[in-house]
Amino acid sequence: MAISNDKEFKTALAGLSTSQQRQVAASFVQRVFALSGDIRIKAALDAAARADVSDAELTVLSGAANTARVESFTQCGKETDWSAQAGHFVAKAAVACVKAAEAGSNLAWDAAMHARMARTCQTVADGAGTENVEAGEQYRLLEAFLNS
Amino acid sequence: MSASLEKGVRVLKEVIDAPIASYFNSCVHCGLCAEACLFYTETGDPKYTPIHKLEPLRRLYEQEYTLVGRLAKLVGLSKPVTDDELEEWKELVYNSCTLCGRCSVVCPVGNDIVYMVRKFREGMSASGHAPEGIIGAVNRTVTIGSPMGVKLPAVKAQMKHVEEDYGLPIPLDAEGAEYMVMLSSMEIINFPEYLAAIAKIMHQAGKTWTLCSTAFEATNAGMQIGNSDLARVLVTRIVDGAEKLKVKTVISPECGHAYTALRWEGANLIGRPFTFKVQHIIEVLGEFQEQGLLKTEGFETDRLTFHDPCQLARRGGVIKQQRNLMNMVAKNFVEMPDAGFMNWCCGGGGGASAIEEGEELRLEAFKKKKSQLDTVKPDRLVTACANCRIVLEEGLEHYQMDIPVVGLTEMIAEHIPDQTTEKGA
Repeated sequence: MAISNDKEFKTALAGLSTSQQRQVAASFVQRVFALSGDIRIKAALDAAARADVSDAELTVLSGAANTARVESFTQCGKETDWSAQAGHFVAKAAVACVKAAEAGSNLAWDAAMHARMARTCQTVADGAGTENVEAGEQYRLLEAFLNS
Repeated sequence: MSASLEKGVRVLKEVIDAPIASYFNSCVHCGLCAEACLFYTETGDPKYTPIHKLEPLRRLYEQEYTLVGRLAKLVGLSKPVTDDELEEWKELVYNSCTLCGRCSVVCPVGNDIVYMVRKFREGMSASGHAPEGIIGAVNRTVTIGSPMGVKLPAVKAQMKHVEEDYGLPIPLDAEGAEYMVMLSSMEIINFPEYLAAIAKIMHQAGKTWTLCSTAFEATNAGMQIGNSDLARVLVTRIVDGAEKLKVKTVISPECGHAYTALRWEGANLIGRPFTFKVQHIIEVLGEFQEQGLLKTEGFETDRLTFHDPCQLARRGGVIKQQRNLMNMVAKNFVEMPDAGFMNWCCGGGGGASAIEEGEELRLEAFKKKKSQLDTVKPDRLVTACANCRIVLEEGLEHYQMDIPVVGLTEMIAEHIPDQTTEKGA
């Protein structure tokens, strides 16, 4: 299955089971993990990538990832460090990967959006324009997952 | 007396106007303002009594403008204000006051204590006794144009992110648009979904809107530190942008002090009426709802409660709209005790969240919000201020309360059907 736009991407993600969504979402976030480096995020992503992850594990890892997310907010009035802010969005994406499943939620889509925002922050930090290749790379990852 | 203290005292003498004189004369020392301040109620320390936070200003007023005070000063019974004293008062005037206005509304003689604190901050700032965190924000505002150092390329990057990933156009510098949308630094940096929500809502409502490249940011650091000149410069920037683009309405974002600075102080700061209307985004959404321009589908079914930002509800009088909006998309909306006009502050307004050394006290004061939340035990907490949102998240994290916090505008937008425009669709 070839994916060429976000409408197809979102629809395909919505058609996956929660466990599958976690796995593919983890692969999206792995691509930007270097922008964070937080071991709590790594643990969350490693767990989300496993088909046999338990609810108990997810609860613990979700709490730790959420702490990393809250700690990495840029607070009101503080000078913005866009590299650190990229790390915040990586944390936010990781939280989406391991959060409790809700009816109708598309956690993989949420993770994809936050991962793209992490890359956007990196481009701002680098002063390298606004090129962001994450969307295309996420399409390829999803295609590979669906074809595997 | 140091040059900076001399300047500060001069500024303090200048800011003592008729309202302040009458407030000091009217105070009956009843202590009601103490019970209205979360820094007092949660610590029990009398130094956090709001009217006490103004003690150096009161003494200066008496020494300069009353006969008894002048005589007392002359014979050494009333001590002059010193640098050491102002430094000691920094914690009381900045760290432990969020300008939430609760003390002002409970005062039985009608003293606007917030007004006085803001005037006192003018002298504190002029004498070099403002906290480092707020000074940094002000310096960045002066040198970069933004308290958090946000520049136009960062805004453009976020615009591109929203346009590409949500498939919605973000107009920039569109002359003649009905609405000019402002953002807070916090939304640009932490909450890009706010901009996406605006795009979705405006699209459904069929309204024209735009961002302004020379006035995209609503945050007003001048208000927070107590520097009217800077506050005026920042408001002027917005006025110039709105008049250049000939917009009818400027929308203040989900940011409390931005709304107060522009809506309630702005015209006075620049000395003339605006040629456009100023509304908070929640007021705009309320209007759209009334006019049938906001069509949502589905409901949140978990237990939700709403935290009223002080500047929106108590200082701004916007209370009904957010509740109507909540009920539009939530089946199980419950109110916290004291919700609405008398809601308790998150503890981080008025620049307090930018003060690193105030964090411990802020978390102590958060116990008030914790107790409100413990009463209703919500599954999620909704609010309409980006700063409240982060302060709430930090407090909830500190007290290990698993309650996600969401923005009202974004929650409304999530219930608008996807009628458009995802990328490539």
